[in-house]
Amino acid sequence: MFEEASEVFDNMFKSSFPLTFIVFIPAVLILVSPLPAEAAHEFTVYRMQQYDLQGQAYGTRNAILNTEARTVEAEVLSRRCVIMRLADFSYDKYQKALRQSAGAVVIILPKNMSAMPQDIVQQFMELEPEMLATETIVPVYFAEEDNELLSIYTQTLTSSSSQGSLSAAEVLLHTATANGFQMVTSGAQSKAISDWAITSLEGRLTGVGGEDLPTIVVVAHYDTFGVAPWLSYGADSNGSGVSMLLELARLFSKLYTYKRTHAAYNLLFFVSGGGKFNYQGTKRWLEDNLDHTDSSLLQDNVAFVLCLDTLGNGDSLYLHVSKPPKEGTPQYSLLKELETVVASQHPEVKFSMVHKKINLAEDMLAWEHERFGIRRLPAFTLSHLPSHRSAQRSSIMDVRSVSPSSRHGAGEPPAGWVHYCKSHQYPKRKHFTFQRVSFPSSSLVMALPEQPYCNIIKRLHKRCSVKVRLRWQNSVDDLHIFASSLKLCLPFSLRVKPAIFDLLLAFCIAAYLGMMYLAIQNFGLLYSVVRRITLPKAKVH
Amino acid sequence: MTLFHFGNCFALAYFPYFITYKCSGLSEYNAFWRCVQAGATYLFVQLCKMLFLATFFPTWEGGAGVYDFVGEFMKSTVDLADLLGLHLVMSRNAGKGEYKIMVAAMGWATAELVMSRFLPLWVGARGIEFDWKYIQMSFDSNISLVHYIAMAAVVWMFTRYDLPKSFRLPVTVLLALCVYKAFLIELFVHIFMLGSWTVLLVKAVLTGAISLCSLFLFVTLVHSN
Repeated sequence: MFEEASEVFDNMFKSSFPLTFIVFIPAVLILVSPLPAEAAHEFTVYRMQQYDLQGQAYGTRNAILNTEARTVEAEVLSRRCVIMRLADFSYDKYQKALRQSAGAVVIILPKNMSAMPQDIVQQFMELEPEMLATETIVPVYFAEEDNELLSIYTQTLTSSSSQGSLSAAEVLLHTATANGFQMVTSGAQSKAISDWAITSLEGRLTGVGGEDLPTIVVVAHYDTFGVAPWLSYGADSNGSGVSMLLELARLFSKLYTYKRTHAAYNLLFFVSGGGKFNYQGTKRWLEDNLDHTDSSLLQDNVAFVLCLDTLGNGDSLYLHVSKPPKEGTPQYSLLKELETVVASQHPEVKFSMVHKKINLAEDMLAWEHERFGIRRLPAFTLSHLPSHRSAQRSSIMDVRSVSPSSRHGAGEPPAGWVHYCKSHQYPKRKHFTFQRVSFPSSSLVMALPEQPYCNIIKRLHKRCSVKVRLRWQNSVDDLHIFASSLKLCLPFSLRVKPAIFDLLLAFCIAAYLGMMYLAIQNFGLLYSVVRRITLPKAKVH
Repeated sequence: MTLFHFGNCFALAYFPYFITYKCSGLSEYNAFWRCVQAGATYLFVQLCKMLFLATFFPTWEGGAGVYDFVGEFMKSTVDLADLLGLHLVMSRNAGKGEYKIMVAAMGWATAELVMSRFLPLWVGARGIEFDWKYIQMSFDSNISLVHYIAMAAVVWMFTRYDLPKSFRLPVTVLLALCVYKAFLIELFVHIFMLGSWTVLLVKAVLTGAISLCSLFLFVTLVHSN
């Protein structure tokens, strides 16, 4: 057959030159064409944070992943992609994977976070800062659990865990029959983003009653922080603070439209960005207002600055101050007012003042009010957390929906205070409705061109008829962020077989073909058998 | 998975054809060009079928998962053109019956193999992802070789002038089975929800039965006169 074929080809090429092109060029094209990776299981993975702050590198340094999956139970982890479930996650296992120079780590998060036992959630929350604090060379990804991913995990688990105690032949058989999974992301390596901005929003309500009115500033930072930027929803920190600020703005904009309820205070609302990165947005806003402008509400007669941070849960309330307010100042009267309101209307709420001096030696400021404190503005933070070190402020576990009504009514005292000063009865309003502000709005995500969050806040703010100004602040000098490849929706896991399986298959196929050969060679036998059976019938005819 | 896997699949799909060609004595008849011609006829017939299907059977837009019984039946009726094509190939070749049948079937099946199996194998079996379907596809090509040989034999018997009256019915039944085999298997799959390996087994058994029957008829016919 081949001789004849080659003869035919020879004649073909000798006789007509163009035919060569027609036959050969497509053949060459097919041979050299690259193979697209066919996707079997596609799911979304979210990469760990990556940023440099003040010369220090944080988070994972790598984005490219193309290795075979293993679970932690396997003997050899080097250059493998280690997958673990959140339920089995521990820092030791994570460290073990990193020590054995694993190729990547994928942590599978449950779909419904609230169904997880509280101690696991708590444990993971406390691990998050530790994972981020050290620079990790390998890519670390988070994925949400689904059925396919779970089946991949269980198959990998069975193949990884059974390797320890078997004989060599069993291991060989096992590797030949088991399914392997190749984890592949086709995203590019992460790059530092050069052109990005921190966005902050500022709104104001002007009071009546003469020149040089005192100003009250209400501040909340909107950005969230967690080990994976795209998974940090920050429902409590600081979705609750922002929603409370928006609600205050809405209330006051209503009150300020009537003459009777128009107070003699200017109100300044500030929704700051970059809060989780040392309150960069606030810092820049203060610099702009105090150093670069001649007239600003912040420059003269600020009554106090109230920062709202993490107020959505719990039934305790803390007023964090860097300097205890003196008697006779507006801050002191606010503190007293808070105490009376809490005592009279919400007796179940524990309220206290926490005093902590600003520590300039530390890398990060504790609370947002310290930014104002440095600039000698009277400021404090209202929060349900007793300490700024609480893991809840920077966790991807912070997704629990904020209860529609705050139990401690933290927004009421300031409102009451302003109107108390104007000797008006302040509006009876039991509960504040929280707008559900839950978007992944980490600074790293916000640096991307498509950001829904700011627009939504802006729209909400607009509805409150507060004059809103959007402030863009160009990149911060000592913060470099790597916002690319943080969320990948890519062909991700491929079923693969080891090379030994191919060899075995080749062996089986060779045996099959040998049998086929024998069968066709001895077709005459079958033919004669059939003939012998049919002979008597033929005689009948 | 790798080039090696592609080689495996390729060997599984193509070597039976090669062995059949060598062992059936076709190579001694210098039948290569005749097989190529049969392949060209295959191409022509497929083109005609496609044109016909595209013209008269617009894509059925029923609900997903609903099996269009009549539509599928009509579509496989178009496969009658295959019989015509095989007849055309055989009528243009002079020679003994076995020779005619083998040339037509080999050319036909090889053309189908090259046209419909090679590209999926090349693209799929070489990829990183492993899937059993390429091995199954290769097995399927072996089955279709047997199928076409049986089909060519039945067509040859059907078109003979000296076919005894008693043979008319079984041969016609076999012809219908050959044409509607794909339809029947699809129906099986739909009704019994078969897995891919079971489908392959059913196909093999059905094809084996059909070809054994046609072999009996063929042997009887050839040696009766």
